[in-house]
Amino acid sequence: MKKFSRLAMVLLLLPASAWLNAQARPSDRTAPDQTWKLDQSTLTYHMSHPMHEVDGTSHAALGKGVCHVGQCDFLIAAAVKTFDSGDSNRDLHMIQVTRGAQFPIVSVRIHLPQSSLDSPTLDCDLEVQFAGKTAHYAHVLFQQKIDGTAHHITGIVPSTLSDFKIDPPSFLTIAIKNAIPVRVDMVWHAL
Amino acid sequence: MVVGGSSELDPMGRVHGIGHGTKALLFAISLTLACSVSERVVAQSSETQAGAKQTNAPTTTAQQGIGATKEDAMALPDAPLPAAPADSALDLGEPLSTSALQPPDQSPPSGGLSLGDLGLTPTQTEGDAARQALFDRRTHMLKVHQRLGLITVIPVAAACLSSVGAPPDKGNYGNTASRDLHVALGATAVAMYAATASYAIRAPRVSGEPARGGVKWHKYLIYIHAPGMVLTPVLGAMAYNQINSGQKVHGIASAHGAVAVATAASYGAAIVAVSWPIHLNLHKSQRNP
Repeated sequence: MKKFSRLAMVLLLLPASAWLNAQARPSDRTAPDQTWKLDQSTLTYHMSHPMHEVDGTSHAALGKGVCHVGQCDFLIAAAVKTFDSGDSNRDLHMIQVTRGAQFPIVSVRIHLPQSSLDSPTLDCDLEVQFAGKTAHYAHVLFQQKIDGTAHHITGIVPSTLSDFKIDPPSFLTIAIKNAIPVRVDMVWHAL
Repeated sequence: MVVGGSSELDPMGRVHGIGHGTKALLFAISLTLACSVSERVVAQSSETQAGAKQTNAPTTTAQQGIGATKEDAMALPDAPLPAAPADSALDLGEPLSTSALQPPDQSPPSGGLSLGDLGLTPTQTEGDAARQALFDRRTHMLKVHQRLGLITVIPVAAACLSSVGAPPDKGNYGNTASRDLHVALGATAVAMYAATASYAIRAPRVSGEPARGGVKWHKYLIYIHAPGMVLTPVLGAMAYNQINSGQKVHGIASAHGAVAVATAASYGAAIVAVSWPIHLNLHKSQRNP
């Protein structure tokens, strides 16, 4: 009889704890697995100097996202040499300064809950690998417009030279500004 | 079977003072609760830790490990979280941290997507230290080229200014001081120009692509000022000899001034071209955040 009562307690407590377990899980746990592909991208860095305002643009970024068990991992990468500022000498100098021959790829990793993928504003924590260093940016906001299956995402990554231990290049002995914000314009599709 | 992770187990695996039924009950409760705790930690790590955005992979891995070990950690004190940033209250958009130098292959921090998943080959992602050294050497030489080029402006300008006193003054061919000064300044300008050019010529080529932007015009203008820098002293020497021999400057030597002006102008234009377009914003750029 004593054993029976203990067994009954176990049988009663197991569903209760299973219910607690289900509550602890995120609601999007049941969301289907997804794969995302970056279709179009425009990444533009901006550099400021007393004599120059320069934008360097790359359209050659590659990106992929994988969603599993309600969590999504995104990876975006571009070759440093694909950034074009309109001046080949400046671009080669940029590659040298950012150690682009030694570390040819700039990559960004984003981890997001799958439930947030359809919201108009994405609050992202970024892990950026560039020039042989990794910098983390918290709460970078991106705007999203969903047009059919296309997710158009725009935003600015507030990167600086010092984040990546890059010595600021100078012209006429005046160094460029430390802030190198990167404007992001991407179109993603779920596969 | 470990219950509560304590060391109070006898050799038969029983916990002292607790019966089998209670043990089974405690095990079931602790197992299910531990599952819920661990899944909450793993699945909601990015949501529940509002301040401490632990995006780096080692931390996530550590959390997963901690979540897994919670199963037998119900009776144990919590271990300190490794690699968790202490300064969790961070400003928006500010970088949390910058890690040390990464290996050139830029592999994923933890079993996530890799550059290979994007279709990038190891050849594209691996760095080339020798090529980086070539870039460094190129930049160094072009910096010297730039510095010498700017310094060369001084003797070029001085030679142009001193040319006013170089011709014989109203037939006074004996006064050579100002003319000699002009010759000295011109020779200095040519020597400095040659040194400047040598650094650009000897700088290693790192790209076979055609020049774009201001540097393209910088290179085009070489076809004017380089021959000019050769021709100007030759014509100057001819004019100098004609004057010293009491003759009026004549023939091709009379083009010395015009060639010199064209050379100096194209040299100045080359400096401006490599800096073009110029957007003066001195008031904004004094701050360097």
